[in-house]
Amino acid sequence: MDVTQELADFAAANSTAVLDRANPIITDAGLLAAFDNTPVDPEEYANLNPHLLALTLTSTQALISAIFTLPTKSSGSGPVVTLPTPVTLLPREKPLPKPKPPTKWERFAAAKGISHKKRDKDVWDDEKQEFVPRWGMGGKNREKEDQWLHEVKQGEGADLDPAKTARAERKARIAKNEKQHAANVSIAANAPKPISALRDPNAKPSSSLSDSQAVKQSSRNKRKAELERSMLISKTSTASLGRFDEKIDGEPKVKGVKRKFEPTVTSGGFDGEKEKALGVLKRVESTVGKPKKVKKGGEGDEGGLNVRKAVRFAGKQDGGKGKVVGKVGKGKRK
Amino acid sequence: MSMLRTIKPKNARVKRALDRREPQIVENEKTAIFVRGQTSSDKVRTVMKDLYALKRPEAINFSRKNDIHPFEDASSLEFFANKNDASLMVTGLHSKKRPHDLVFTRMFDGRVLDMIELGVEELRSMAEFSTPKSSLSARPMMVFHSDLFDTHPTYIQLKSHLLDFYNGHPLTDLPLLNTLEHVISITAGPLSQSDDATTALPLVHFRVYTAKLLASGSRVPRLQLTEMGPSIDFSVRRVQSADEEMMKMALKRPKLAKSDVEKGLGKKRKNIETDEMGDKVGRIHLKKQDLAKMQGRKMKGLKVKKGGAAKTKDAGADEAMTED
Repeated sequence: MDVTQELADFAAANSTAVLDRANPIITDAGLLAAFDNTPVDPEEYANLNPHLLALTLTSTQALISAIFTLPTKSSGSGPVVTLPTPVTLLPREKPLPKPKPPTKWERFAAAKGISHKKRDKDVWDDEKQEFVPRWGMGGKNREKEDQWLHEVKQGEGADLDPAKTARAERKARIAKNEKQHAANVSIAANAPKPISALRDPNAKPSSSLSDSQAVKQSSRNKRKAELERSMLISKTSTASLGRFDEKIDGEPKVKGVKRKFEPTVTSGGFDGEKEKALGVLKRVESTVGKPKKVKKGGEGDEGGLNVRKAVRFAGKQDGGKGKVVGKVGKGKRK
Repeated sequence: MSMLRTIKPKNARVKRALDRREPQIVENEKTAIFVRGQTSSDKVRTVMKDLYALKRPEAINFSRKNDIHPFEDASSLEFFANKNDASLMVTGLHSKKRPHDLVFTRMFDGRVLDMIELGVEELRSMAEFSTPKSSLSARPMMVFHSDLFDTHPTYIQLKSHLLDFYNGHPLTDLPLLNTLEHVISITAGPLSQSDDATTALPLVHFRVYTAKLLASGSRVPRLQLTEMGPSIDFSVRRVQSADEEMMKMALKRPKLAKSDVEKGLGKKRKNIETDEMGDKVGRIHLKKQDLAKMQGRKMKGLKVKKGGAAKTKDAGADEAMTED
């Protein structure tokens, strides 16, 4: 029994010897990866599995030494290395998150230079001598609704329920906030995109206030002009062309086409007038004796028949037949 | 996308779950889906099983057949990806024209980024090696051999793809003891001289070894490798490279402050650790218990009414009474 081959395999499997490579092995410790870009030798490649093992051993040893020479810090479960950021670029799963569109208040605050002030959730209650929540269950904003005694000011009716009024006020504040939130959401959804964003769909929305305001202004002007136009059309849509309609406050004035007349007397004699008259004559002369041009869609000169329409009509009639002919072929139906 | 209904969160838990699916600055690890086509072979199923075992737990295995042909119509892949919030797909197929076929697909933003089709030529599955295996969710080391992975566009894509598949999520910290368990070794064969380079692409050898770190007397240990399987020889078939614009988008990096990176990118989890058994351990800080406030036996007579809502209700009831 010859076991030399098996012994050799066993020795190879237990070896820790590394190969010499022509190019140094590139390691990317951030991704726990190593790249050996020396071409694979065809002769060694014939002896596949042992060669792969040797190659892997070599490159992994390089990677291990790269990892183990990184700075370590100690922890409960032995030393921990902080890995560097990976060198190899790999694609993300999703695009970078878009910045949240600013609310109306945030835009205003940015324009005025008002910085954000963090509000604590709890406020100090002097009477209870402890922190109570600003809102929510047992919140400070419900204090008036819950207290058993109310001060009635002079002039306030006897039927006034201060707890009820306070509650109504709080509910109104909530409703107002919700309305503002909805407005912000709709503005963010319908925000007109700047031209730069249209060109590059992945560009960030412009953060500068003046930019977005200019865009808003232009879109508003456009909308205004459109509205005015449709209003004028509707106004002149009566039998009297809107002559007897009541005027609306701030109605735009209709600007018609102004007619222009030639001056009756010119300083340069009658040369201009003569030229104009000759021009008209020339135009008339050029069309004399020629057949009238057939207007697109109109009735032409050729025996009063609209050829274009007629051709289309005829085409439609035997169009169905034509298709039938097509079906006879051995085309497979999908 | 259209087949998936949009969910409006009705409670905070659902909202949190949906927010986690939104684009993040620091992304989660990519999930891989393993799905079979209408016809597959035993070889392909075995390969998928082993690749799945290596990718677990960031992997989902679908056991049913699906009518998927990634290179012809990728819409169902996109559906799978969006439904499961996964961006890596492995489709196993088998046909006369392309026997023992695996299609690796990468997604970006719910759309197909690139695809690569590999044929399984030789296979020795993980079960055929009677050696110890790596533990679940152990991060592999990956090594690539051959100049083709630097020069040939198909192999560059393959390298990026496989690296992304198993090691795409960069780690920040790595404990040195008992963490480096196995190596995935990928080697491309030499370009054959006789054939035309475009017709015959050399095989890609996929090997996995368990690593044993031996004391060497220096800081860097010596390494010993034992093959644990699977051992697969792939042939490279069809390739669909990424759209340039899309790839550019996908390679965009966020601008992060150095301090944020050091802090763990805003994802620092306080008082949560994973012990050596892989169990999650949390530490809770408690105040000293006040026994005076302890809840004793409950009785109706001793009930304490809550402040706000109860009172107003009572007031309403009183009014009703007086009206009567």
